[in-house]
Amino acid sequence: MQLHHLLRLSALPPPKDAAEEAQMLSTLASQLHFVKEIQKVDTEGVEPLRSLRDETAQGEKEAELGMVALRGALEREEIRGTHHRRTRRKRGGRDGDGGEKWDPLGTAGRKMGRYFVVEGEKQG
Amino acid sequence: MQSSTIRTAPSHFARALQCTSPGLIRCPRPCIVAKWLQSRNLTTATPAAQEAIPLRKHLKDEAKRKKADAKRDGNTASTKSGADPRLEKWELTVGIEIHAELNTACKLVSSAPAEVLETDNGGMANSRVAMFDAALPGTQPQFQVATLLPALRAAIAFGCEVQRKSGWDRKHYFHWDQPNGYQITQYYQPFAKDGCLVLDASDGVPALDMQGADRLRIGIKQIQMEQDTAKTTNVGSSTYHVDLNRAGVPLIEIITLPQIHSPQTAAAVVRKIQAVLKSVDSCVIGMELGGLRADVNVSVRERGTSGVGSSYSGVSGLGQRTEIKNLSSFKAVEDAIIAERDRQITVLEAGGVIEGETRGWTLGATETTRLRGKEGEVDYRYMPDADLPPLVIGQDLVKHLTSTLPTLPDQLQQDLQDEYNLSLKDAKTLIDLDNGDRLDFFLRTVHSVTAELSISSQAQIGKMVGNWVLHELGGLLTTHQRSWDDVRITADELRDILVCLHQKRITTRVAKQLLADLFQREPAPAARPCVEQLIETGNLRLRPLSEEEYRDLARRIMDESPEMVKAVREKGQKGKVMWFVGQMVRQGEEGTVEPEQARATIERLMGG
Repeated sequence: MQLHHLLRLSALPPPKDAAEEAQMLSTLASQLHFVKEIQKVDTEGVEPLRSLRDETAQGEKEAELGMVALRGALEREEIRGTHHRRTRRKRGGRDGDGGEKWDPLGTAGRKMGRYFVVEGEKQG
Repeated sequence: MQSSTIRTAPSHFARALQCTSPGLIRCPRPCIVAKWLQSRNLTTATPAAQEAIPLRKHLKDEAKRKKADAKRDGNTASTKSGADPRLEKWELTVGIEIHAELNTACKLVSSAPAEVLETDNGGMANSRVAMFDAALPGTQPQFQVATLLPALRAAIAFGCEVQRKSGWDRKHYFHWDQPNGYQITQYYQPFAKDGCLVLDASDGVPALDMQGADRLRIGIKQIQMEQDTAKTTNVGSSTYHVDLNRAGVPLIEIITLPQIHSPQTAAAVVRKIQAVLKSVDSCVIGMELGGLRADVNVSVRERGTSGVGSSYSGVSGLGQRTEIKNLSSFKAVEDAIIAERDRQITVLEAGGVIEGETRGWTLGATETTRLRGKEGEVDYRYMPDADLPPLVIGQDLVKHLTSTLPTLPDQLQQDLQDEYNLSLKDAKTLIDLDNGDRLDFFLRTVHSVTAELSISSQAQIGKMVGNWVLHELGGLLTTHQRSWDDVRITADELRDILVCLHQKRITTRVAKQLLADLFQREPAPAARPCVEQLIETGNLRLRPLSEEEYRDLARRIMDESPEMVKAVREKGQKGKVMWFVGQMVRQGEEGTVEPEQARATIERLMGG
């Protein structure tokens, strides 16, 4: 029968008796029913999921980058000139990168001074 | 009076201070500065003196280049290489993709610094690398919001529609300069679309391309943000050194529509884009320093046909295109396009077919080289990045940036010509110099002079102030090899000099001397005498001579040099009149002889 064929294909042991066989068949039937119901859902125009995020309107509002979110960056700019006014970003004033003090070359297999060394194709 | 040994005052000033009786005729001054001043005392001559060359240098080079181009096009028109008759049959189409480094403090999706800091190890290789940049397992990207500002400004400057929601995608390929194995870009949903760039003939577009219109519009398909790769240096035959400092630095990619039809226009487009990006502080490192790179897509088709039917973003009927990657100077853009166009025409005329391939260009080559054919095409497997949330841009931010955007170069150029009566050449020079500081100085001076003199229209003195700011100050800066930061002359001081000049209280020659004097002095807070004081102490006020005095002086000089008189009268060398004027100015007292008057007198005496 088809059940025995499937069990052979999946390298699963055959049912011991008729009761177990009946149970297997009914489980299989409900699984197939589940799949058919899922396939009936209309997914027309639904974008594939990229990641689990808050996609409500409120969530989008919170994620919006506007004047509030950019306030810090805007404060780090100055206006140069009196008649021909230009906005310029102020240079400097940062001390490293916010706590990430590590040695990038620490995991290098091959290095020369401060560089990673790689072998590529011959030039020319 | 103790003459100071610290500052080098022109010797005639020192003498003036010691002079007891005015009206003393001075003998010719031997000092070098005075000689230089004398060489510029003819005010009726053309404005640009030798010292102004560096200022005009790039314009002269432009003119030379245009002449060379015209000659070259002229040569091809004489069918030496046969390109021109071919161009009548074949039409070129070019699309450009520009990658420009954004002016930001951090990288795009990591918190490592994007620029060299003043701290000690900022300049070392592999010192500005975050864990995500080195692709350590388990690290996550995080969008650095500050990078949005220069990107938005660039989009607004090109008139693009900023998309409220845009996405981040991964472009997968394996290379040692991309530790993560993919580049984060915006392939499916860029943040800005449908802009345009406007060019005119003064930007370098050949007349043929303008087709009678006075402006050329090139559409910009989209602008997107993406990451830069690491820097690789080749040492030895197959060994490379990798520096991850640049990995992850934010770039914007600007993609134009294929609406460009000549190599010169393509170079002009790249130049214009660089200028606009610099003016809004989005991308301040130029092409020469590697901050801006261009890729071009070149195709040809027979005029009047629709090529092989290719199309790109709504522009259809094109031939098969090839891509030339990594052009790093304006000249390279132009030369590479010309070489590729010629190659494609040759292949098509011989009955061949153009393959869609990627080609490269090296400086000094005559033809592009094939980098990658169709079989070597990479499948980038674009997919949305699951770690980064979509980018949502607020309308209030876009509005704020639009309203505070500095005036773009095109508008500035127009304003300077219309309101201040500057020539196109002067306007362009003024906009480009010193990051806009010189323009700001010019505007400040014009406004204060206008206010002081109570003139209604600024066009009247705009040209004069422009000459002084560009040529006189420029000349002084070059001669003394100083940069604009060290100009020391304030707008107020220049205003005072020009007001006195305009009111004819001093001669032009004296005005230039005052400028040179103030230029040499120590800047504030050291004591700087005001212009009035200098005029007083130097006895430089214009004391106009009477007609009689002019004639006496003129006659005396004519008696001293009869050969010159003969040259003018008998040989008709009218130019030598100016020599007499020069002599009169030199021999007359400081601030008395006006060149125009002197010339009129001499001409009258010469009897013609």
